[in-house]
Amino acid sequence: MLRKREKSSITFNMAPMIDVVFLLIIFFMLVSTFASAENIPMEIPNPERSLAENVKIVDRVVINCRTTQTGDKEDESAKAVYSIGPNRPESLESISKRLAAAHRANPKLKVIIRADKRLRYEYVRAVMSVVAENEIEDMSLVAHVAGLDE
Amino acid sequence: MRSRGPRNRMYAMKDGTPRVERYRRKRKGKSPLVLNLAPMIDVTFLLLIFFSVTTTFRKAEGFLAAKLPRDAGRPVVAMPITPIIVRIEPADVGFGGYQLRVDHFVNAPATAGELVAFLRDIHEQPGFSNETPVVLAATPDVAWDHVVACWNAALRANCKNISFGRQ
Repeated sequence: MLRKREKSSITFNMAPMIDVVFLLIIFFMLVSTFASAENIPMEIPNPERSLAENVKIVDRVVINCRTTQTGDKEDESAKAVYSIGPNRPESLESISKRLAAAHRANPKLKVIIRADKRLRYEYVRAVMSVVAENEIEDMSLVAHVAGLDE
Repeated sequence: MRSRGPRNRMYAMKDGTPRVERYRRKRKGKSPLVLNLAPMIDVTFLLLIFFSVTTTFRKAEGFLAAKLPRDAGRPVVAMPITPIIVRIEPADVGFGGYQLRVDHFVNAPATAGELVAFLRDIHEQPGFSNETPVVLAATPDVAWDHVVACWNAALRANCKNISFGRQ
């Protein structure tokens, strides 16, 4: 009597898929750096052979200076929008008061000016004046870090 | 009840010798150890989706150190050393461009890249060094990008005293 042939069940070989998925996860985990909430998206200056260093600054206040300009085309009527960190936009007077209070609480306070590269210098200059009026000497300007190709 | 069949099987060999063979019951095969990969794949896919959705590729940001003068920038005493004043102005031609002028120097650099070599040359001249103050005086309508480019150029030229001035 002929033996009945057993039906072979269909199986998926999952190993290569798991390999690829793990590779992708490891890649994303290595390249991801969780963006600080202070860093509102904007176009940061990107100087040639930048000497900007990605150092950790404690006791800091980030002043974001965005522009109302949209696109790269120069807009004479573009204004600046100021905010401390991720907070809502506020006037320079309000920022000055908050800086004064923060500086009283912590004399070692450092100010980081993070301004959009398209912004007119007069708007950033106004922030610097506010910082200087509050007798805060230590300031840092945000720029892109030099790439590996530079 | 179903009989299990004979335990032994008897048969004759070619030379007629009887032979009894013990009936072998088929041993139940042990089930192979199977790893259930489904939960792991679920979690792995969740992680993959999380990272691929949240990741945005951005160029890293860094800081250029600067110092602000006390007393809101008003000079208390006159500076004994003549500073190198770099004037950053909007370009006469083109859109969004800039031009540089250095006070008391005729051959002005055209770009921030050229400013590096220009400042290094000045440092070599008698009476100047990298300790000589460099003032970046930009007009209000110049883009912040150009001011930062000049600040970075002065840092690259190893200038120790860089400050912002008014135009």
